[in-house]
Amino acid sequence: MQERKITISNRLGLHARAAARLVRRAAQFNSNIELVREDTGESADGKSILSVLLLAASNGTCLIIKTEGDDEERAINALAELIEQRFLEELSDGVF
Amino acid sequence: MASSSAVRSRDVKLKGVPASPGIAAGRVLRLDERGRHQFYYIGVSAAQARMEARRLHEAFQEARAQLRDIRVHLAEVLGYDHSFILDAHLLMLEDERLIQELEHEIRTRRVNAEWAVRSVADRAIDAYKQVNDPYLRERTSDLEDVATRLLTILSGHDKFDLSKLDQDVIIVAKNIWPSTVAELDFNHVLGFATNTGGLTSHSAIIARSLGIPAVVGLHDVTRLAKTGNLIVIDGSAGEVILRPTKSVLRTYAERGELEAGRRIRRTAEIAQAAETIDGVRITLRANVELSTEVESLKLFGAEGIGLYRSEFLFLNRLPELPTEDEQYEVYRKLAEATGDHGANIRVFDLGGDKLTLEGFETEQNPALGLRAIRLSLRAEHVFRTQLRAILRANLHGRLRVVLPLVSTITELREAKRIIADVKQEMAETHVEHNAELPIGVMIEVPAAALMADVFTREADFLSVGTNDLIQYILAVDRTNENVGYLYQPLHPAILRTISHLVRVAEAQQVSLELCGEMAADPLQAIALIGLGIRTLSLVPGSIPLVKYAIRSVEFHRVQSLMKDAMKLASSAEVEELLARELPQQAPRFFAAWSSRA
Repeated sequence: MQERKITISNRLGLHARAAARLVRRAAQFNSNIELVREDTGESADGKSILSVLLLAASNGTCLIIKTEGDDEERAINALAELIEQRFLEELSDGVF
Repeated sequence: MASSSAVRSRDVKLKGVPASPGIAAGRVLRLDERGRHQFYYIGVSAAQARMEARRLHEAFQEARAQLRDIRVHLAEVLGYDHSFILDAHLLMLEDERLIQELEHEIRTRRVNAEWAVRSVADRAIDAYKQVNDPYLRERTSDLEDVATRLLTILSGHDKFDLSKLDQDVIIVAKNIWPSTVAELDFNHVLGFATNTGGLTSHSAIIARSLGIPAVVGLHDVTRLAKTGNLIVIDGSAGEVILRPTKSVLRTYAERGELEAGRRIRRTAEIAQAAETIDGVRITLRANVELSTEVESLKLFGAEGIGLYRSEFLFLNRLPELPTEDEQYEVYRKLAEATGDHGANIRVFDLGGDKLTLEGFETEQNPALGLRAIRLSLRAEHVFRTQLRAILRANLHGRLRVVLPLVSTITELREAKRIIADVKQEMAETHVEHNAELPIGVMIEVPAAALMADVFTREADFLSVGTNDLIQYILAVDRTNENVGYLYQPLHPAILRTISHLVRVAEAQQVSLELCGEMAADPLQAIALIGLGIRTLSLVPGSIPLVKYAIRSVEFHRVQSLMKDAMKLASSAEVEELLARELPQQAPRFFAAWSSRA
């Protein structure tokens, strides 16, 4: 199992777009992917949009990513990179 | 029964929020009949439960297929930016956890698929509602949308394929969901009427950018209107008339030539110049609130953007402020989309009835308080960030800055000083920008109108904002129903003020534009042109209609008519004069108004 601590640093946090990107990326791996909020201990299935959204991880929230499976290392690297790159957050008008 | 008498009664008039201008008459299509109530509890055997699980899977597949189609359609109609919301919906439908939970519900509780979807969705919605995050709470509407889609498919009541309507309809719904909007066949949708929503709701914004009349905030229109009923919606007045009698319908049908405007958009006429019969060329520009609306500029034939309401960048964000880079991306998009026509960016018009900045308190009398340029000068860091973004984006097109609610020359001077300072700072730190940035003053305050000659000496152009100008000249809050009647765009005091501004601008050789709802009303637009206004900025969807009106009048006749109008004593007399005289000039178009008084 791989485990890594990382802080959400994009402006809007794990909101719809970012969460969607994360879930899409997670779905590319066989490993089980779990996200845990460091402060509350709440955990989410990284492949479930409903579950990731419920974490309500805003900018500054510290998450622990856990991956387990045959591609756990690639998975954790990919997800950490996505979060570090702030989900390549594009502009939206914030209305929808 | 009270409801059945309501069904029979004719000419039921409902008042709502005017969300998108124009008039439409037609048959109701009530969306909430789709699926929403078509589920009930059925206890099932173990064997039947397997059957239900299969139905569930098929419904998921069907829903995913529908959403993929809708996403393509939405991207075509509104551009890619609007379509991302559907990604979240799609992901919910691909959410294995959700599917497992539903299967579990069916298997362990022995319930039908509909019931499982409803109860699991309700539990999820409750969970979201408990999270202390307003953005996330809003996502419950996405969940509801997805659940409704599944229930509709499951209950087999998906007879209405909205993308293949075979007759014109007026959509009546509690609320228009983003994905519903995406599904609509806009060639057959004449208008919207909804229970909920305000001016900035999704349905209102989309209706405006598509040029479809809409009235929102009607509270119980879904209870009163039935599919197939006749309905008239007046998106300019914010009125809906249910089951109109023949005479009422005739009145509107005559005015219904207004509807022509919507159809024009689909014909080649959109490409024609906005020119009066006697050859006076009018420039029609767009009022834009969202950068995604630039997609509609070409569709409606707008010549650039006359008013970009930059405060919309704050929507859903405050107290957080949009960063310089974010703003840059938006302004750059506007600059690139408008090319040589250019775009006027009105700096944040916050405060008053609009959103305000953190650290500034609500005031007793906001319309006369710390708002617009007054607030920008006070919160200088916010203003400077915006200016930097504009100056950088200006490398990609022709941007201009408009300062809202200027009352005195010192405000213009102070703003110009800050702009010069920002430019210098950018030059010194080698930040690439285009310093060729004309500065305009919005004429909205009576004092500024009276002193327009002074402003023309120091500003590069003037832009009349009629919404506020009318409010301040007549001292009326138009949203106050006790005095709203005093909001009279055709009041001679307004006409005289505008005429004065035209003369000053001509004498000083400074360009003059006008934006405001007046510009989107064909009759009032013609009046403005008669007063000498040459550039109007209006919601993109109303451009074809106003263009049609312009093309059906002779300038010299409208001009002399307006000279007479300015001598009249009241708004009612002006309206009467126009209603009497204009139809003779442009019978085709203005017959509509003879019945108005």
